[in-house]
Amino acid sequence: MRTPWLRICIVPNERPLPLPFPRTRRERASCRRKDTGVRTLLILAALAGVAALSGAWFVYSGLYNLSATQQHTAPVYWLLNVAMRQAVKHHAQDIRVPPLRDPALIDSGRRLYGAHCASCHGAPGIAPDAFALGLMPVPANLALTAREWKNPAELFWVAKYGIKMSGMPAWEFRLAEVELWAVVAFVRTLPALSPQEYRAAIAGDHDRHPVRADAPGPAAGADAPRGRIALQQYACVSCHVIPGVVGAASPVGPSLARIGSRKYLAGILPNTRETMVEWLRAPQRVAPGTAMPDLGVSVRDAQDIAAYLETLR
Amino acid sequence: MIRAPAACLQFALLGGLVLAGCAGPDAGPTDATVRAARAEVQHGALALQRYGCGACHRIPGIAAADGVVGPPLVDMARRVYIGRGLANTPQNMVRWIRAPQAVAPLSAMPDMNVTPTDAHAMAAYLHRSE
Repeated sequence: MRTPWLRICIVPNERPLPLPFPRTRRERASCRRKDTGVRTLLILAALAGVAALSGAWFVYSGLYNLSATQQHTAPVYWLLNVAMRQAVKHHAQDIRVPPLRDPALIDSGRRLYGAHCASCHGAPGIAPDAFALGLMPVPANLALTAREWKNPAELFWVAKYGIKMSGMPAWEFRLAEVELWAVVAFVRTLPALSPQEYRAAIAGDHDRHPVRADAPGPAAGADAPRGRIALQQYACVSCHVIPGVVGAASPVGPSLARIGSRKYLAGILPNTRETMVEWLRAPQRVAPGTAMPDLGVSVRDAQDIAAYLETLR
Repeated sequence: MIRAPAACLQFALLGGLVLAGCAGPDAGPTDATVRAARAEVQHGALALQRYGCGACHRIPGIAAADGVVGPPLVDMARRVYIGRGLANTPQNMVRWIRAPQAVAPLSAMPDMNVTPTDAHAMAAYLHRSE
């Protein structure tokens, strides 16, 4: 059976060619005359197939070293860095930056930074904690980041949403918008902050630890799509199979399939929006001895999660 | 435990072969223990049906077991916790099935007076390798 390019590249004497690479002038001329591009497409498809197969082989071979002591190869590192920088720029472009020079805001940001950021990123004259030194990539020195990233909205975006597979967590469900901006305001002062000044400033901070504001942002009715994101942010996915949530496939606790139709929660509560919120916020009080931990879920987040779970009917 | 010898049996029937190691004394579980384990799993399926567990739980492999009162009993062999924070061992499964209120007072799961034999068989069914 002749494939399309065989028919296209037949010389006048009907001798089939060692295709797809014609050798003589006549053969080439024959092909040039009649090549409709099909042959080129087929060659490209074959090359793409070979590339995909070698890629699949490489992945399954397990040869790429994912350990946290081994940096990516230089090309992969470059690629990831560019992708990260571009993604941050793109997603932060429409964020409106509030005034960030208010000393009170910077002051509050310094306390939040000391409580939540310094353990990984360090601070002027202060090293990151031991665990953070073993992270790959190692958390950035934010004095440099603050100097090089001109748009404060980019710092805000990274702090709020985090960065996949980098170790940078999202703070969206932990800090209110105003607190996130306070952190950004403080980070922007880092390049000009000496270790002595920083030490002097935090000397009085210890007994003034920031307290997490419950329900950051406006509680404007239960928001099921946001609840679906919250299921990830409260690590629900590491113990439950949850339909509709990618990566929620762990059978540590019961599957949440059809949880919206379930009659009882934890075996004791009739399943309503209110009892679900109660259960999500205080499992240890509702069912003492349960393996489900208290995760500090705010009222708003619990309501959103409950709204999503109700859709699993 | 259950599938491998079955596969060996099929090979033997299909090819007329007796594969060394399949039925030999070094093959681990002997035919008798394999048959006993299979019988217990089958007994477990029957018991789950007879005690009406399917009225409250979805149980794969059990006819009409599609209840949504309690959680679905899917992938139970891989579950880490059962009942009220019990480690998912065969003993704990039996304990939970036989006396739920002793583990979790006020639990909606009723005490069905399951006999020890039936409870063991149910645990064997739920923990079978699928």
